[in-house]
Amino acid sequence: MQQITSSMAGNVWKILVKPGDKIDDEQEVVILESMKMEIPIEAERGGMVREIKVNEGDFVNQGDVLIMLE
Amino acid sequence: MLEYITDLEKRKKAALQLGGEEKVKKHHELGFNTARERIDELVDANSFMEFGMLNHSDSPEYENKSPADGTIAGLAKIDDRPVVVQATDKTVLAGTGAAVNGRKSHLITNFAVKHGLPIFNLDEGGGLRMPDGMGSDGISSKMMSMNLLKHGRSVPFITAILGDSYGSPTWKAVSSDFAVQLKGTCMAVSGPRMLEVATGEKISTEELGGWQLHAKTTGQIDQFGDDEEQCIDLMKEFFQYMPSHADEEPPWKETKDDPYRLVNEVLNIVPTKRNRAYDMKKLIKLIVDDGSFFEMKPFYGEALITGLARLNGRVAGIIANQPIKYAGAAGAEECMKATEFICLCDSYHIPLVFLHDIPGFRVGSAAEKESIPTKIMVWNQALAWSTVPKISVVIRKSIGAAYSNMCGPNMGADFVVAWPTAEINFTGPEVGINVVYGRQLMESDNADEERKKMLELWEFDSTPYKAAGKHLIDDVIDPRETRKFLCQALEYACSKKGTKSKRLLANWPTGF
Repeated sequence: MQQITSSMAGNVWKILVKPGDKIDDEQEVVILESMKMEIPIEAERGGMVREIKVNEGDFVNQGDVLIMLE
Repeated sequence: MLEYITDLEKRKKAALQLGGEEKVKKHHELGFNTARERIDELVDANSFMEFGMLNHSDSPEYENKSPADGTIAGLAKIDDRPVVVQATDKTVLAGTGAAVNGRKSHLITNFAVKHGLPIFNLDEGGGLRMPDGMGSDGISSKMMSMNLLKHGRSVPFITAILGDSYGSPTWKAVSSDFAVQLKGTCMAVSGPRMLEVATGEKISTEELGGWQLHAKTTGQIDQFGDDEEQCIDLMKEFFQYMPSHADEEPPWKETKDDPYRLVNEVLNIVPTKRNRAYDMKKLIKLIVDDGSFFEMKPFYGEALITGLARLNGRVAGIIANQPIKYAGAAGAEECMKATEFICLCDSYHIPLVFLHDIPGFRVGSAAEKESIPTKIMVWNQALAWSTVPKISVVIRKSIGAAYSNMCGPNMGADFVVAWPTAEINFTGPEVGINVVYGRQLMESDNADEERKKMLELWEFDSTPYKAAGKHLIDDVIDPRETRKFLCQALEYACSKKGTKSKRLLANWPTGF
């Protein structure tokens, strides 16, 4: 089980994957909006998306879990 | 004569027992290596020449319980380069500092400075030995070593915290050019047992001085290892970028990586959409020799990246903004991190490369409470006094005062160039328009349309061609030729006196 966490505080602007998706190493999975910038969040390693912990529009803090991978 | 030799051998054999079988066993069971095992891991085989093996405590009651007085020290080689190494032995009186090991440490440090040998500390322990240090006579004879306070970065000072550390090992780590901490250990002024009595605070060692605290909050440690071997490997890796002493340049490392290699991959890494962030570390690894980048303080002040790499075999220090952290906007931590790194590079003749993508400094009450104006100016002062070659590349944004801090024009850079995507200005266009035309826009019936028109005009003004046209910057380069440009520019900038600096920052503090 692998977690993808937020690299900084911001709003979840776009979620680019859905449960069941297979993703590659370094694939962008979420884009945050913070300080007027789009901040892409990547999966360090690939895997299958098991659960998405946030919704678009949610505020997240640095370190919050966004996605659980299998 | 043989009798005498047998006696000597017996004495030396006893010293090798460290704190005794039982204590060594307990130390191993806790997952730690002994001081002697650590030295073996660090230095080239059969190169260790010990100093003070026959030392012991000068307190009669401890005389027989203190082989080497708890500090193993001597000369050795690392990758065939001579060094001084000191390792604290936790199994002897908890690795405490006392008169005899203090004298040994002082003398071998003097030797290192005199002969230009880097100093490696494999450290842990409980600070000053008690009761030796008690009383006005005790403490008066065991004050801070001037070697630590005035080392002037004359030889690299490299420290590993490999066990809980209070007092002396902590002082050494924070005074070092490079410090690594073993995860699971604590580094602090004094331990929980002292705190219980002093203030009544009850706190775990992890919270008091664990690796995460130093990685993210204090920035006092540069790198972290999961085990002792990794910590020692990190010390050796750092050393590969360092000269042995301040009179020489860092060692060259031959590379098969073509200095003129085009970095076409940048087209996929750096988005042209100006508000889209990207990972600057990918860009750095693409540009430098063999993708090899040794980062300093990776979890502290993360909107700024500092680290060591090579360009066509020559060591270079990289200072780069990190857009995926706070959009690259620097706060107080980033400023202190930059200042410390500039001092390191200037002291050891390491040229600096700046990669700009910074929308400005973090503004607001939180930043002001951290004295950000002072931190910004101390960074600028360090830059202004530095005398190593400096090359600046504006990748995307470089806005306002931050353009100076990142070594923009008139800040002593040998070259300042920009990518065509560069956006150079006093402030972001949205902010600038709001400051200058705020009232006009507020009173306008068609504010959105007017704002849009103004934005178009202000963005045009931010392109690098205006600055290049007036020779305020040296050129606008093809991003794919960034490595080629840096390798060429460095070669020309170093043609007269290599990377040698005047070391005007060598006496600046080791932390800010």
